[in-house]
Amino acid sequence: MRKKIVSAVVTAAMLAALLSGCGGSAQAPAAGSEAAPAAGGESAAPAGGDTAASGDFQLDRINVIVDGTVNATVDAGQKEFVEQWEAAVSEKIGHPIKLNITQLDHSDYSGTVSRTLTTGAPGDADYPDALIMSASMLRQYQTTGLLWNLASAYDNAEFQSRVVYPEVNANLKMEDGKQYGFSPTYGNGCVTYIKQSWLDKAGVKIDDIKTFDDYYNLLKKYSDGKTYGVIAAGYGKLDEAPFINYMPEWWQGAYPSFYQKKDGTWVDGFTEQATIDALARLHQGYVDGVIDPDTEEAGTKQAREKYFSNEQGTSELAFTYWAGTWLRTLTDNMSKNEVDDDLGDKRLVQLPPVKEIKDTWGGYLNREAPVWVITDDADGSDAREQAIFDALFETMLDGDKVQTLWTYGAEGLHWSTAAESFTTNPDDPEKKKDYEYKDGEFHLRQSPNDPDSIWKKNHIDPVLCIAPLTNGFVDEDPLVEEGNKFFLANCVDAPAAASSDTLTANNEDLTTTKTGLMNKAVTGEITPEEAVQTYIDDFGSVSDTIVSELNAQK
Amino acid sequence: MSRKQDKLAQQVLGDRTLNKKKLSTRIWNNRGYYLMFLPVFIFVLIIYYWPMLGIRYSFYSYKLRDIHWVGLDNFKALFGDKNFWRAFKNTLELSITKLLLNTFAAVLISVFINEMANLIMKKTVQTIIYLPHFMSYAVVAAIFTLFLSPSSTGFVNETLKHWGVIDKSIDFLHNKALWRPIFYLINMWKETGWGTVIFLATLSGINPELYEAADIDGATRLQKVRYITFPALGNTIIVVLILNLAKVLNMFEPVFVLYNTRVLDVSNVISTYIYNKTFLTPIPDYGYSTAVGLFKSTVGAALMLACNEASKKVRGRGII
Repeated sequence: MRKKIVSAVVTAAMLAALLSGCGGSAQAPAAGSEAAPAAGGESAAPAGGDTAASGDFQLDRINVIVDGTVNATVDAGQKEFVEQWEAAVSEKIGHPIKLNITQLDHSDYSGTVSRTLTTGAPGDADYPDALIMSASMLRQYQTTGLLWNLASAYDNAEFQSRVVYPEVNANLKMEDGKQYGFSPTYGNGCVTYIKQSWLDKAGVKIDDIKTFDDYYNLLKKYSDGKTYGVIAAGYGKLDEAPFINYMPEWWQGAYPSFYQKKDGTWVDGFTEQATIDALARLHQGYVDGVIDPDTEEAGTKQAREKYFSNEQGTSELAFTYWAGTWLRTLTDNMSKNEVDDDLGDKRLVQLPPVKEIKDTWGGYLNREAPVWVITDDADGSDAREQAIFDALFETMLDGDKVQTLWTYGAEGLHWSTAAESFTTNPDDPEKKKDYEYKDGEFHLRQSPNDPDSIWKKNHIDPVLCIAPLTNGFVDEDPLVEEGNKFFLANCVDAPAAASSDTLTANNEDLTTTKTGLMNKAVTGEITPEEAVQTYIDDFGSVSDTIVSELNAQK
Repeated sequence: MSRKQDKLAQQVLGDRTLNKKKLSTRIWNNRGYYLMFLPVFIFVLIIYYWPMLGIRYSFYSYKLRDIHWVGLDNFKALFGDKNFWRAFKNTLELSITKLLLNTFAAVLISVFINEMANLIMKKTVQTIIYLPHFMSYAVVAAIFTLFLSPSSTGFVNETLKHWGVIDKSIDFLHNKALWRPIFYLINMWKETGWGTVIFLATLSGINPELYEAADIDGATRLQKVRYITFPALGNTIIVVLILNLAKVLNMFEPVFVLYNTRVLDVSNVISTYIYNKTFLTPIPDYGYSTAVGLFKSTVGAALMLACNEASKKVRGRGII
């Protein structure tokens, strides 16, 4: 009998543990929320029910999903940013509101977003109310019914009177006037950086490099099997628009994906002669040892780390990377690695677009801007969605407190206007730098996760913002300013991302196949002509269908 | 069970073994044990069997929240995709070759280690060859990618050039002809040491009297290995091969960290095919991915049953 009692007790305990384990997490409130959500875990839940009229709708929490472009990460002051955002926005909208940020791994962002939107539904605790999407993602999702048409909200936004780059969001409007994404900034793009010291050694001035041949000849001078002319994250990054921006001099007017010609007709750029010519140039660069062979497999991190590494004996002369803030970041990293210390902030020089780029595109490509979107709960009412727009997007460009938060981060942590002095690299006499600011003087502070460097920005680039700050807070880093000015003077808009059902269904196959063929052609395994012909043989009919679908969208 | 065995069991265990009562009565009589088993049973149902209900999605199109019945369309698309068949073929070739090579190398090294007289040397060698097993495949791939890089930072190429063996770098991991041999080598380097554990355990169980008798008969060291050690390992080798054969379709990580677009023809396996279709497609069709997974599981189950039959024939008993 005792055995039976013991077994019954043990069983009951195990069952209780099992069942509590199954159901326990569903009741837990999401991180950052004040209380557990109501039944069903409504995130952007109305105080008086989801069907409340727009004016009655009270949004008490916003779930957002962001990528790595929000620099105030958990390790770099996200808590302070969220606290200050909640205080400022609560004051603006007249009632308390919470912000719950989920920051995803940048490298698998689109995949994770896809899975989140597939498995969740509006009202779920972790389902996003708003999230960041690339232009390509926006094109793929805007016809799925999952996103809210924010055209009217955007047109009537308070910040409209201060917008200086109206074309950024105008380009997001569809033919039927619907708009599913909102971009607070210009897109930005890549420029080619060249190490000044290497340029000096070669006795060449940057203004002397006007054509691809000039550029190639310079690169060749440093291609001795140890050092190389150039490195990039792939010969072409065919999984990320605008595909050619890490090797623009080599691709010139070619565009190895679907794009719209000037007459509005869509074509498959990978089948064009320009692509064959570009592959031939890349192949020659590979054969001559001008292009670092690590380019084929390098990600952006590996490429840039090799470029500014302290092992300059195996490094490269040129590197095409993001403009503006990255000029400062690359320079700082060279400084950290004690590369060309005597040149200070003049370590890198920006190469104006070569003639072949100017003659085809007109300049470096300014990618389509990443956007913020709002998820639609499809309840027939816009109340929730409008409330999200008002609390998140409207305040994001308020010109003042909240925009400063998105631009520079949290006051007192990332930036300050209080009188203070601090020192970076205090233990290194050569790199030690003192900073002193008067009361009322806006300045960025030391990075929370790297006290030896100065914080740069949070999410919105102040120079690229479509509606600049009105409070006069300007980060006066001349190098960043120089980088941004250079890019804006030398860029043109990249082709719009294509989207069709067949393209979405075959995107992975197309990208993998084209990347493989490109790599084989560059390394000489096959000729450029064979690469393009193989693509036509294998995917010609798919390509034709996609082109037909795209042209039918006009 | 024979009558003699029946009688013996009756003597030893009494009525408890040869209970001829109704099942429901037997369950009631042993309700304490069944009650204790219940949480485990529920756990297995929830963790292992409940997710299997997802198999039904292989007959659906499942994109974002648009889910609708498509019948066998996913399977038609799957069987019509030449990339899938290439992945299937690669999976079998890579897995089986890797299994045979790793087992062969493990046996050989086990015998060498077993023959070592110096205990310190023996333990040192064992420790050294076990270590790679504890490194993740991601780290192993990073190390070998760096070592074999064709750029000036590649250790192997630079060394060969320095010695005058080659004058131009070899792109080891991007060459279709070289990728598989390097893949097998890396896997042998990583897993052979760990694979020796089971064979060394078998070798330690060989009756020393056999070796003593062989010594008396004047057998040489090689003859003892040939006629005592290897035959003693035979059964273990077959068990290891059979057990692993059932898992050949599960290969993912070793390939995923080492393959690239230039060697897809010889490296893409079913698991990486599913990964690409699911995680690299902007809006994946989970129905299609489930169909591929179901096919893989079906073939895996068939292989396992075949192995079970093989085991019955070879060892006289099955593995399940």
